[in-house]
Amino acid sequence: MSRYKKPVAIYLVLLLLVIATGVTFAQKDRADIRIVVVSHGQASDPFWSVVKNGVDRAAQDMKVTVEYQAPQTFDMVAMSQLIDAAVASNPDGLVVSIPDADALGDSIKAAVAAGIPVISMNSGSDVAEELGVMVHVGQTEYEAGLGGGERMAAAGVKNALCVNQEVGNVALDLRCQGFTDAMTAAGATVEVLAVDLADPTDAQQRIAGALTANPDIDGILTLGPTGSAPAMAALEEGGMLGAIKLATFDLSPEVLAAIRDGNMLFAIDQQQYIQGYLPIVLLTLFNTNLNTIANDVLMTGPGFVTQATAAAVIELSAAGTR
Amino acid sequence: MAATASATKARDERLTESSLLKRLLSRPELGAAGGAILVWIFFAIIAPEGFLSLRGTASYLEVSSHLGILAVAVSLLMIGGEFDLSIGSMLGFAGVVMAILSTVLGVPLYLSSLIALALALGVGFVNGYMVNKTKLPSFIITLAGLFIIRGLTIAFMRLMTGRTQLGSLDSAPGYAVLRAIFGADITLAGVGFPISILWWLAFAGLATWLLLRTSVGNWIFGAGGAAAAARNVGVPVDRVKIGLFMLTAFAAWLVATIQIAVVKSADTKRGEGQEFISIIAVVIGGTLLTGGYGSAVGAILGALIFGMVRQGIVFAGVDADWFQVFMGAMLIIAVLVNNFIRRRAEEARR
Amino acid sequence: MTANGTPMIDVRDIHKFFGNVTALSGVSMNVHAGEVMCLLGDNGAGKSTLIKTLSGVHKPDKGEYYVEGKHVDFDSPRDALNHGIATVYQDLAMIPLMSISRNFFLGSEPTRGRWLFKRFDVKFADKVAREELKRMGIDIRDPSQPVGTLSGGERQSVAIARAVHFGAKVLILDEPTAALGVKQAGVVLRYIAQARARGIAVVFITHNPHHAYAVGDRFTILKRGQSFGTFTKEELSREEMVRMMSGADELDALTHELSMNNEQ
Repeated sequence: MSRYKKPVAIYLVLLLLVIATGVTFAQKDRADIRIVVVSHGQASDPFWSVVKNGVDRAAQDMKVTVEYQAPQTFDMVAMSQLIDAAVASNPDGLVVSIPDADALGDSIKAAVAAGIPVISMNSGSDVAEELGVMVHVGQTEYEAGLGGGERMAAAGVKNALCVNQEVGNVALDLRCQGFTDAMTAAGATVEVLAVDLADPTDAQQRIAGALTANPDIDGILTLGPTGSAPAMAALEEGGMLGAIKLATFDLSPEVLAAIRDGNMLFAIDQQQYIQGYLPIVLLTLFNTNLNTIANDVLMTGPGFVTQATAAAVIELSAAGTR
Repeated sequence: MAATASATKARDERLTESSLLKRLLSRPELGAAGGAILVWIFFAIIAPEGFLSLRGTASYLEVSSHLGILAVAVSLLMIGGEFDLSIGSMLGFAGVVMAILSTVLGVPLYLSSLIALALALGVGFVNGYMVNKTKLPSFIITLAGLFIIRGLTIAFMRLMTGRTQLGSLDSAPGYAVLRAIFGADITLAGVGFPISILWWLAFAGLATWLLLRTSVGNWIFGAGGAAAAARNVGVPVDRVKIGLFMLTAFAAWLVATIQIAVVKSADTKRGEGQEFISIIAVVIGGTLLTGGYGSAVGAILGALIFGMVRQGIVFAGVDADWFQVFMGAMLIIAVLVNNFIRRRAEEARR
Repeated sequence: MTANGTPMIDVRDIHKFFGNVTALSGVSMNVHAGEVMCLLGDNGAGKSTLIKTLSGVHKPDKGEYYVEGKHVDFDSPRDALNHGIATVYQDLAMIPLMSISRNFFLGSEPTRGRWLFKRFDVKFADKVAREELKRMGIDIRDPSQPVGTLSGGERQSVAIARAVHFGAKVLILDEPTAALGVKQAGVVLRYIAQARARGIAVVFITHNPHHAYAVGDRFTILKRGQSFGTFTKEELSREEMVRMMSGADELDALTHELSMNNEQ
């Protein structure tokens, strides 16, 4: 038996070393309040890294402990399991995004039933209230799309393309829906183009293909910076940059530069930084002072960044806070 | 008289059966069992409030059960000497077929589930048949399958619905039946334990019995250990392999159905990456990559370790990104320890 | 010898072609029960092809094959096995990581119960495997230990014991002593003798004339697909056998030629 003591001991030490390394790396200062954030966005995504920056900054400012969890890919099963784990760990607050109410509804209801205050952000503005969530912090997608459509129609666009990278993600579908409704009301037409933004080259080819197939298109709306990049590339390759009116949701340094240079009409900004920041503040205040918000939705957008304001915002975007 | 008595005794000494301890030590699951216990102790110490709670236990058992069903089937296939890299795509495919048949064509979910099962078994058969016929490594054939099936899933979904995800399946006809069989919760002391855990354990039990207590199980070891030698003594190696590929396809279908019952939606990305994670769980459980040696019980333990680590990380407050680092490190450590223990155990027996 | 002297297996005028290559050209051989026939020849002589034909892996392109006087035409090794012709190949006999008893019963597992509850009777397998091996002189401590823990000679012996146990009437052994040391080879040769004593017809392929002479009753020598003939021990001395096997005639001619060149 003594033969086996050594390897077992080595195993134990190795195991502890590996995991302890991760734990110490990620350990924050212990405070009484612990909040868990479960979102569907990976930190490698440029949009979501801004959200995470907001979360991290709020944790610092509020001096609370916050843990950020997300599945490796857009995986609703894994995300619901992460929420279950978060609930089982009994936090003082839970922040979630709700891209799929069917998949996540049960887990969120369980959290609420367990007495954990839940705030939703970014996606799920339409379902948040019925799930028992305290408040939704984000942009109401339909209204944002509507606003975008109104602006584009006002700019004279008659036939637009709405490029959707996650058809089925309710939030994104609503954006295109609002956009379509506003454009239709103004007498224009909209076609929805589905792309897979995990492969930007493919997305670019798809957009170029749609433009060739329908030469009447004079406007494109993309639903994020990972959509606007291929769209701009497609337009540039076809020599149509500036001729076809381009607009997008959400900011990035490239998007802002394009607006400043006149290649993009506007960007619809949902201010994802405060989508990360505000829920932490609200949950801290709820835990310490029982404060609540009366609205169902705390609207962080739509804000419109146009050529007039682009330059100022560029620096902030490069810093990862806009 | 005395001479023969002592001679008999001497002979008996040499023929002494290995002690129970030595038998245990030579089992392929030993390393994984030790690992599971250590991981459990580790998280019990670091994050007792979450990990040890009933709810926490339910949460990691749920994760383990989904992976575990796949891992059990994959372990049998790997013992039989083959790989199935298409199992993740199969999962997505089965789910999408079910969802489309029920929402677009109005077929009750339990029926569309059976149709998806038939399709899955068909694909499994084709995988096995191709491996036998072409004599190409199953790694290559099922790698092609990974892309082809995933592509078909996406194309089919877009063609029929224009979307990449179909939700609200709880309002599809026949959902209640599906939920009751595959998605219900068993309540213990106020906490719901998903029924997938029972499916997992039942499947694992049957697979272990098949492997260790039937002729077919012996054939699986033979086919994986030395297919030509097995053929020479009359083992129907080709049929065994086809059966094993159909088993992995069945497991993919089962998990897809369970996930639809629980999550009420299907999407084209479902199951991505599961083929590699199940191989990791199987290898942690003591099965050799080269075939002919391993255990389904080990796969259970490997899946259990995976679930505990996956959820334990959340309880411990560690960033989810570190999960992949742990998984890789755990794999290497587990294989090294498994090899070490097995070699020592074998020496001890001589 | 069987009661009426009919050979156990009898192949006549066998031809086998692989594309342009003639592997066997008019080879005839017969083996009686309780007899050891040594099949000898250099590399490429056709020994492998001949035994594969005997064991059902290949079908002869020309010629006839009789088992116990009846004409046969095997479709597969399983077919040959069902007729009592068991072949033990050099490297492909055992599965190293599997236990001895499981290896022993692979393909013919003993079962208890019926239908879905048919169980592989592990206890029975362990017991019988140990008994059979003991009968052949091997004392294994634990039949559930992996076959890989046995020495090469012991492994070959297990394979032979397996074939004998399952009622082989003809045992074809493909170079069983090739990779073994002297002592281990002795173990295997003893087995072969025991199999003969049990009335089995043995076809023993070897490179090693000493082994062949030690245990063989008759010898068939192949060279480049053709048979030099079948000889008994009386008809063929060991030295002559070695000469025929190694092509000593050509070697003599070459030596002569080289020495003539030297003298000039």
